[in-house]
Amino acid sequence: MSATAAKKQKPLKRHPSKLKKMSAYTILAIILISIMAVLFAFPLYWIITGSFKTGAAINATTPEWWPSQWVLTNYQKLFAGKRAPLWQLAVPFGSKFSANGEPVYFSVGPMAPAAIRWMINTVFMAVMSMILTCLTAAMAGYALAKKRFVGRKLLFTLIVCAMALPKQVILIPLLREMSALNLYNTIWAVIFPIVGWPFGVFLMKQFSEGIPTEMLEAARIDGASEARTFVKIVLPMVKPGIGALAIFTFINSWNDYFMQLIMLSSTSNLTISLGIAKLQAENSTDFGLIMAGAALAAVPIIIIFLIFQKYFTKGIAMGAVKG
Amino acid sequence: MKNCISRRSFLKAAGILGAAGALAACGGSSSTSTAASSTASSAAASAAGTGASIKLWTYPIGGWGNDETVQNLISSFNAKYPDIKVTVEYLDYTNGDDQVNTAIEGGSAPDLVMEGPERLVANWGAKGVMAPLNDLWTDDAKKDIYASVESACHNEKGDYYEYPLCMTAHCMAVNMTKVKEVGADQYIDTDKHTWSTEGFLNTVDALYKGGYENVAAIYCSGQGGDQGTRAIINNMYGGTFTDAAHTKYTADSAENIKAIQALYDAKGVNFDPSINGGEEITLFRNGTLQMAFCWNIAQQLNADTAAAGQTISGDEIFPMAFPTESGDPKLCGGIWGFGIFDNGDEAKIKAAKTFIDFIAADPAQVKDSVLASTYFPVRTSVGDIYAGNEVMSEYSKFMGYLGDYYQITPGWTTARTEWWNMLQRVGSGEAVETAVKTFVDNANAAAAAEA
Amino acid sequence: MAAKTAMKEPKRSSALVRRETFASYCFLLPSLIFFLGFVIYPMILCVVTSFFDSTMNRADIFVGMANYKTLFADPIFLGALKNTFVIVIVSVPITCIFSLWVSSAIVDLPEWATSLFRCVFYLPVVTGSVAVTVVWKWMYNNYYGIFNYLGKSLGILDKNINWLGDERFALGCIILILLTTSVGQPIVLYVSALGNVDQSIVEAAEVDGANDFQCFWKIKWPAIMPTTLYILVITTINSFQCFALIQLLTSGGPNHKTDTIMYYIYYTAFKQYKYGYGNAMGVVLAVIIAILSAVQFKMGNKDN
Repeated sequence: MSATAAKKQKPLKRHPSKLKKMSAYTILAIILISIMAVLFAFPLYWIITGSFKTGAAINATTPEWWPSQWVLTNYQKLFAGKRAPLWQLAVPFGSKFSANGEPVYFSVGPMAPAAIRWMINTVFMAVMSMILTCLTAAMAGYALAKKRFVGRKLLFTLIVCAMALPKQVILIPLLREMSALNLYNTIWAVIFPIVGWPFGVFLMKQFSEGIPTEMLEAARIDGASEARTFVKIVLPMVKPGIGALAIFTFINSWNDYFMQLIMLSSTSNLTISLGIAKLQAENSTDFGLIMAGAALAAVPIIIIFLIFQKYFTKGIAMGAVKG
Repeated sequence: MKNCISRRSFLKAAGILGAAGALAACGGSSSTSTAASSTASSAAASAAGTGASIKLWTYPIGGWGNDETVQNLISSFNAKYPDIKVTVEYLDYTNGDDQVNTAIEGGSAPDLVMEGPERLVANWGAKGVMAPLNDLWTDDAKKDIYASVESACHNEKGDYYEYPLCMTAHCMAVNMTKVKEVGADQYIDTDKHTWSTEGFLNTVDALYKGGYENVAAIYCSGQGGDQGTRAIINNMYGGTFTDAAHTKYTADSAENIKAIQALYDAKGVNFDPSINGGEEITLFRNGTLQMAFCWNIAQQLNADTAAAGQTISGDEIFPMAFPTESGDPKLCGGIWGFGIFDNGDEAKIKAAKTFIDFIAADPAQVKDSVLASTYFPVRTSVGDIYAGNEVMSEYSKFMGYLGDYYQITPGWTTARTEWWNMLQRVGSGEAVETAVKTFVDNANAAAAAEA
Repeated sequence: MAAKTAMKEPKRSSALVRRETFASYCFLLPSLIFFLGFVIYPMILCVVTSFFDSTMNRADIFVGMANYKTLFADPIFLGALKNTFVIVIVSVPITCIFSLWVSSAIVDLPEWATSLFRCVFYLPVVTGSVAVTVVWKWMYNNYYGIFNYLGKSLGILDKNINWLGDERFALGCIILILLTTSVGQPIVLYVSALGNVDQSIVEAAEVDGANDFQCFWKIKWPAIMPTTLYILVITTINSFQCFALIQLLTSGGPNHKTDTIMYYIYYTAFKQYKYGYGNAMGVVLAVIIAILSAVQFKMGNKDN
């Protein structure tokens, strides 16, 4: 259904005749919306220009709308800061195996500025959450939609109730649990709760319901194993759903701040959001440096967004059709 | 969508929660271990060291917030003790406390922490998460370290949770160029850095009338710099923050109420709940505010955004003692040193003690460690490390104004949070008497609970 | 839909059901580990601990309902509860209406213009809440913020307003930022939903003399109803989770006037070390949210 909806969209969408008879209201609305749009784009504009301003210009009481002098000092300062190995992966539950009970780290790469490391941590966190969520949710969603089993209704009820649950509610127990599992201050402590959030399962269940039962029956009669059926029939059919969920999870985990704040503590383990917050707390005197950090956080994902804009918007919209 | 929730299944859901929890408890640890074991063998190398590895977390205590400086100190430590690996994390005063508290709850508290007795003794020490340092406090050490400092480093039972390195006196600062411009320098004793309460209020008024709308701010958004707001209020009419025995809070005295009221009424002084101490300093440096209450020598020497001792526009920053009627200011002291978190690992505690002993007690090293902080030594044996340094010699005048170190009164953490709330309530118009009373009630309740 | 036919099949043998149950749980297992392990299990712990007086480095003491009793007598908690609901009640309808208005205005523009506007409104979402908040903090600044600067240069304000430091404005300021970071997704959704409305019906109605308003209300509105429901759910969840804004901008101040439950839980846990109390708060909020989402879900089902 979703696939057909996407196809239908094109021919139906624009009617040239519509454009001619733009009413006064429409023109007024467009003007208003344009003003709003400027307001919405302003923070980003200010981050990017601010990151190139001198200290005096950025602290000026009369705002300097366009940098009178472009400098790179803020970025130099950002990259001259603390250093960390370019890439370091905490092996989950590693301390359970290591001889001295210390966490096991797998480090690669030269020492790099911490800000770069934060970026890498964030990308890893978002991508890992995305992959794990999509994988587990696709499997679970299929089972919930297409299988009859004991406890199905109950599980679904649990999922719906837990979906709206803010993570802050379980903050203290979760912290203790992560500590007991020796996951505190590793990126996994942020990833696992994201994967556990049942929205993905809910979404994939809605998508999986669109799979014709006859196809599954046919596969079963042909003697295909459960795993084979899932890979060969189910996965291709819920692909658009996985795409939607992937985008949704990626953006959500990228923007998640709370879990990171609670679970991560060492400078080299921070994410970029936390890193900026830390920069702000440490250097409230140096707004230019903070802007440089914010620009570093914002620009890559915006570029990704602009390149994949079509997929993003389609993906997001598709989630709604099924949700 | 087919599945709607019946009440029965909702109840069933609640009933099965218990079983699910048990399942999750084993599921959580066993299932993922298979995934981990394949990589664990290949990755074990980096963490395995010969000696102990300790984590030091430090608040921005002068130069101890600067990575380069700290790494140098650690290298000199490693020159003598190559087996002990020290990794450093830097905390800030905005989120640092929360970060340490989450780490304690997350079972990953650092081994070593650098801060003052208000946190090490009165907070984490009182909570029982610190290891006592009694063996470091040898008789020699007790003789060498100022008695006033020593008394702040232990609890009532005599257990030491802090080993001090450096100290300073917190003061305030004025934009001298602007003060002279409005002709208010007549109120200031530039030699002794003192002024009378009346002179202070006159200066504020002169600056305000001279066109400076924002003269000073009683910042109260939270964490950090609380000593500044306490000191201005206590000093103005000779009030105290706690009783002499450090058992209860006395901020509701007539002197303090009078001071808060005077500040509230003064034109040009804002009770500002949107900024904290750090932001006040920023506003002072960039010329928005003409006075800062959150000041000390490290701020005076800071050259991040402008030359040391100057605002961004080049105005002269002049450090001042807090104004008094008596002419005898009582400045809040800052004492900083090390504490050890008891993480149950004797080897680490031992390694951490070795570190403290080297950095803060080794006669060959202490001077460098103190110099790194830009503060003053706590030991008589170190001597005048700033001889010939004009700024530091001038600043050392403030050390003579040091008052009582009351920051180890029980219930301190609560008192600090409540203090901000009190200032915020005053700022939004609540009567000073009522606001102060609420503060004292809550703080004393916490003190009673902890004592 | 399709699931209905699956459910209406004749009863199968119990062996078959057992086999299917086993297979189902194999599929569910990876997801269940995370869901039960990192959502449900902490939730149970949360409920249990809420009956204890729990603090740092001390064995928990059972206190029964005492935490809950204190909770409902705690003015800060009640204030935080109120603020949380104010945020939800104000931001959810505004987000929905604003995004619907913007979408319906831009959907008929040329393709490039639609996508430009959609992009711009989505920017704050991808920029990230922390980065956006940092700039807003500057814009609201009491001394050199842009709002005060513009207000004074345009003659609207005669005196600087301490936006985040004034009880009257602080919560509103936070809601405003929340709005800018939450309309992006609804606009994308509505543009797509409106684009999918069958134009031939709209044209037929126009031929019959229906005005724009009637067209919208009678044809488009019912067609985009599922999208609206979805947006309602997502925005409600988002508004409840508002934490970063408060932690970074006001820390609940001034005078606890911008505390939300989320922030107050964090505050009691890590500034006051009252873990049991914080958990009790979490339980109360979880119950409220569970009821709300069950109601929302039921309503959604009815409409289908």
